[in-house]
Amino acid sequence: MTLTLSRPGRTTVPRRPFVTRRTVPYLLVLPALLGFMVFKAYPILAAMYISLTTGAGAARSFVGLDNYVRLVNDPLFWTSLWNTGLILVVQVPIMLLLALLLALGLNSSLVRLRGLWRLGVFMPSLTGLVAYGVMFSVILRKDAGLLNWLLSLFGVEPIDWLGSPFWARIAIVIALTWHYTGYNAVIYLAGLQSIPKDLYEAAMVDGAGPARRFWSITVPQLRPILLLTVVLSTIGTLQLFDEPFVLTGGGPDNSTLTISLYLYQNGFRYFDFGYAAAIAYALTLIVAGFGIAQMRMQKR
Amino acid sequence: MINRRGALALALTGTLALAACGGKTPEKGSGPVKITVWSWKPASDGLAAVAKDFEQTHPGIKVDVQAVGNPAIWDKITIGMAAGGKGLADVLHIGVDYLPGYMDKFPGGLADLRKLGADKYKDAFAKGLWPTVTGKDGGVYAMPWEVNPVGFFYRADLFEKAGIDPEKIQTWDDAIEAGKTLKEKTGAFLIGLNKPAAGSADMDFFQSLLQQQGAFYFNQQGEVTLSSPPAVQAMTLIKKMNDAGIVADTSGENTAKQLISGGKLAVLPWAAWAVSYIPEMRPEQKGLWRVMQPPTVTAGGKRTAIVNSTHLSISGTSPHQAEAFAFVEYALTKPEVVTKAFKEGGVFPALTEAYSDPAFAAPQPYFGDQPALKTFVDALAEGADATYYSGDYARALKIASDAQTSVLLKGADPAAALTEAATLLTQQTNRKLAG
Repeated sequence: MTLTLSRPGRTTVPRRPFVTRRTVPYLLVLPALLGFMVFKAYPILAAMYISLTTGAGAARSFVGLDNYVRLVNDPLFWTSLWNTGLILVVQVPIMLLLALLLALGLNSSLVRLRGLWRLGVFMPSLTGLVAYGVMFSVILRKDAGLLNWLLSLFGVEPIDWLGSPFWARIAIVIALTWHYTGYNAVIYLAGLQSIPKDLYEAAMVDGAGPARRFWSITVPQLRPILLLTVVLSTIGTLQLFDEPFVLTGGGPDNSTLTISLYLYQNGFRYFDFGYAAAIAYALTLIVAGFGIAQMRMQKR
Repeated sequence: MINRRGALALALTGTLALAACGGKTPEKGSGPVKITVWSWKPASDGLAAVAKDFEQTHPGIKVDVQAVGNPAIWDKITIGMAAGGKGLADVLHIGVDYLPGYMDKFPGGLADLRKLGADKYKDAFAKGLWPTVTGKDGGVYAMPWEVNPVGFFYRADLFEKAGIDPEKIQTWDDAIEAGKTLKEKTGAFLIGLNKPAAGSADMDFFQSLLQQQGAFYFNQQGEVTLSSPPAVQAMTLIKKMNDAGIVADTSGENTAKQLISGGKLAVLPWAAWAVSYIPEMRPEQKGLWRVMQPPTVTAGGKRTAIVNSTHLSISGTSPHQAEAFAFVEYALTKPEVVTKAFKEGGVFPALTEAYSDPAFAAPQPYFGDQPALKTFVDALAEGADATYYSGDYARALKIASDAQTSVLLKGADPAAALTEAATLLTQQTNRKLAG
């Protein structure tokens, strides 16, 4: 910016200066705001309009709420909603519990080479979609896959991870957990490190054991962080797209068809942009509903 | 989380954001005109080979053939079209399953080739193709390049072992009886299907049974025919095979290949591309395979079905449409050029004149010195019926595939499953059910 800041002591300028204590904050948020307007607000509003239309380009026409009526009557939409819900309910608690345990381990002063462990835990979050997809399709292969080989050491029959409706959902849960546990663990680790040490010291003086210290100090102190990760993970899983897109394509028998994947198919496979936008708005409503409910629950 | 959100935001806003970006500007002035072609491997290899020859005879035009990849090419084209043609290549290689979607949903996205003189090639290509490149307005939006008529590849040794004479198989009902004997005597399945549609839909077989009866998911008027008698007939045949235990489940990566290796699949109802694919995939099974035209659905019915075809289109916003058409015309309408592309890129040509090339009658050692390609040339000579994919084919494919899965895995009644599917399709696409 080429603006000069007004300094205290030189306030005798006749005209009211453009840059004042009052305007500076606005100027500072302006770039972000502009970015938001162009890349977020405009598409959000445009998608709202598109969801009320059908066709594309020159053939676009206004149809009111038709797309939303269609949505309510679309069994595949309900299937995708059910699948997403199921994965959410199973995966998020498992992942967050694992992340918390990992964070506790990484935070322990007994662990050596902590930097290395932390890096290892966070690495999966950095893995790109394609590499990750290829890797998991190799791990999950029925005949020569790593996971089935491991299981075979324990006498387990080979599982058709991506070919059976039940196991495909489990496979998605495994992949998701692998990818995002480290991310949450790092958030928890930051939370753990911000808990004042003297709380633990005082508790130890009072004779509290490790379990008591965990439940009475760690958990209450981490509450806001726990809420943050629950909300973020819920939103993330509701928008689940990468894993089914790369691993299963929504199959078999639609068992891993998620809302976002169905949205994508409608937009980019069926060229039904209006309908895809309507699905996006339905998803937004669901995400907002969950977010508000979780915030409310936390306040109580 | 950011990644996932990013992906969603992209899906939502991609088209809009791209619309705001600048596209390519037509280059002005002298110098050679450069046209870009989007295709995918291995077809692009064939096209690249003939592009070199083209540049020799057309010094003013440079051709850049890009192997964008399949299926990535469909997203690229969709985004380009949604952005009003910005960033699109001049020449686009488009499959018949996507072509009507682009024609319907993006009017003006593809150039009407009539004004460039495409009309005179109306009868130059295998029967049944021209209607698929013709729009509702009568415009011609692509030129046929590749055609894949269905075949019936069978393991001669297994048939012999089971004491079955393949020549005697006239209808699919005969094939089912043969399949039972095969299973009993050799342990091999008749065919394989990806029953749960894991990864992607496996509907080529069902579709070919429909196409043999001159039917499809839609009729020429664009009405839904997914629950019509031919469709029910086709699905009932598949159910019969499945109930007889002669359909292997080929879901999962490489399952089909392993079944083939182990001699567990006696028949591959694959299209013309398999003439080069099977020898590549299983060189050690040399001499064991033969190919013939598939049995008919009803006694005395038609054998031929065009499983799929691919075409070259020209972007409606390309500033070099004339040059682009010169290339398309060169690549697709000259027998010697088409044959060269076939040899380099394995694309079975749609141009009828090309079939007189000796390559199409040559005996193939892999197929026990049978002239394997001739089977397909003969099939095309019989003439396939045009297939009406409509702009909603992708959705219809998905819905039909779900119906097939419920018949194969959940024992659903074919007529009931297809009626339900057809109702859903009409509701989702706002089309009429054919009366």
